[in-house]
Amino acid sequence: MLPTLHDVLQFVPLGLAVGAVYGVSGVGIVVLYRTTGVLNFAYGAIGALGVFIAFDLINKTSWCPDWLAYLATVLVGGAIMLAYGLVFGPVFAARDPLVKAAATLGLMLILLAAMSWTWPANEVRAVPLPSDNWHNYGYQIGDIRVSWTKIIALLFALGVTAGTTVFLRYTKLGTAYRAVANDREITATLGVPVRFVEASAWLVSGFVCGASGLLLSGLINSLEAATLTFLVISSLAAALIGRLQSLWVTLFAALVIGVVESCLQAFSLWPTESQPLAQYRAMTPFVIAIVALLVLGRRRELTLSRAAH
Amino acid sequence: MTRIRGFEIERGQAVRAVVIAGLFALALFAVPELIGIYWVKILTAAAIYSVVALGLGLLYGRVGMVSLCQVALLAVGAWTATRLLYGTELPFPIVLLIAGVVTGVIGIVVGLPALRVSGLHLALITLMFAGAITLVLSVIHFPNGGGGFLGQVSLGELQGGFRIIRRPGIATSDPAYYRYTLIVVALMFLLALWQIASKPGRAWAAIRESEPAALAAGVNITQYKLWAFALASFMTGVAGGLLAGNAGALSPVAFPTQDSIVLLAVVLMGGIYSLWGAVVAGLLVRLLPALLENWGVSIYVSLLLFGIGVLQVLATAPGGLADQVPKDLKRLGRLLSHGFGRRADAEGPAA
Repeated sequence: MLPTLHDVLQFVPLGLAVGAVYGVSGVGIVVLYRTTGVLNFAYGAIGALGVFIAFDLINKTSWCPDWLAYLATVLVGGAIMLAYGLVFGPVFAARDPLVKAAATLGLMLILLAAMSWTWPANEVRAVPLPSDNWHNYGYQIGDIRVSWTKIIALLFALGVTAGTTVFLRYTKLGTAYRAVANDREITATLGVPVRFVEASAWLVSGFVCGASGLLLSGLINSLEAATLTFLVISSLAAALIGRLQSLWVTLFAALVIGVVESCLQAFSLWPTESQPLAQYRAMTPFVIAIVALLVLGRRRELTLSRAAH
Repeated sequence: MTRIRGFEIERGQAVRAVVIAGLFALALFAVPELIGIYWVKILTAAAIYSVVALGLGLLYGRVGMVSLCQVALLAVGAWTATRLLYGTELPFPIVLLIAGVVTGVIGIVVGLPALRVSGLHLALITLMFAGAITLVLSVIHFPNGGGGFLGQVSLGELQGGFRIIRRPGIATSDPAYYRYTLIVVALMFLLALWQIASKPGRAWAAIRESEPAALAAGVNITQYKLWAFALASFMTGVAGGLLAGNAGALSPVAFPTQDSIVLLAVVLMGGIYSLWGAVVAGLLVRLLPALLENWGVSIYVSLLLFGIGVLQVLATAPGGLADQVPKDLKRLGRLLSHGFGRRADAEGPAA
């Protein structure tokens, strides 16, 4: 039984919001990759840690006001990324991008182990955001309700992407970012404080990571360490479609992934009741990424694995 | 002179071969006698995973291509073998071969993007394939003894209860199956060794160093890249078949996408450039968590150790444990002998 258009449309707002979170994470990943050459596999784990700390601050302490807990999520993201960048950034600076990415796997595993240990999956955790309740639980469009959290997620993603684009193009520090991305050694000889530029990229990327973790926690209702950690795969799919280069393509791809994934929920009885399309919906990021790459990546080029980025 | 030197090299190789054969015989005959059934099964799984690690090491260490879908390919091999073992009376080695070939073909499909992209992009694309394969398997489930292509039968119709995946007739008990597995695993390592030491190995080394140079030297890049993927996937598929026999029953839960990522960390830790690294990786990924559990330590400690290990290896010892431990032992030995030597020197003049 094919779902009606109305059934499908119901899932669009959630899809846009989740896609926006994937997208803003993807943008954070791409900016960090373009500046430092590090593809951060630990992005999901870092965001998740911030959210778990916020959960404990809200539910396990009496002194902490909610806004401080939300702020803590963002700060934790920034702090961990900055610490990793300061300690391991210089160590791996001259290595192959693959080695840099594999090193972040180490950070991911450490954080995942720490989180699975501290917050085992034996209780249901959620960090509802106050924006869920604003304006009487959101706006009514037809018979679809759109909460402020979803609107904020979309605006945040658009804002971060637009802001980053403008920043990279028109500010002095932004120019330094692009210079470092182009050639770290030459930029350093020109007198640009490369370490400072890289550290700022880690810090800002961390803030974005914490914020996207917080927004995501408002959109899904149970937090689990491994699930959150590996949500990074969806963002990586979007970043991959953006060829680890374009911020807007990354955001757009993430929105498409989010909407398609969400709307497939409507296909719960089609084509057959026992094998509905809906059960394949988690494949969306993978399928879209593979198809996009095979269609877009027609250029055949020689590859130099030893080339320093 | 040359002959003598040649003879010495031969002798070194012969000594190494004898030591390896001795260790293998020890693992084959003595180990299952000394430990319980539980540990025999764990060691069987470790041996199987060392083949998976070998495939990843072959791709990354020899050709310079990272694949993040090896565990998903292991699941494909296991699925194929399970279907054949339930549905046919084919002998076990034939089933292993078919599982390997089917997985090899899928591996070539996964490897096709490698002709266009490399490095990180390739790693990410294979990760996407891993996610897709794992999800398809989790939807169609593993065969449980039914008919049709998927081999599914509802639990109600399953007369006589749950059917266990059959093992080879000569290796039905756990220790016997352990020995059977070990021999197949050894064959896979010999296959890899043979390929590395012959023409494909030289072509892979050329591709790893520089693709333009390899192209200029007349190396068929397309052919050898796909061959590497096919070979690694074939070995992984055979390992999947062995895993089906070891487990008795399988579910998609045993092959999560993230395991492919963890496997890369563990293989890097074991040593990406040596075949011993694959053995170490297999032991790390299957034996270590079991040991920790046995000692009452949280299993997350193993994840923590893998995380710290991969950072340490990448930062200070790119050869991994397989390379670093012998070096450290040698250094320790030199330090000790040096220390004793100096003491003897110091005592000499005084006396």
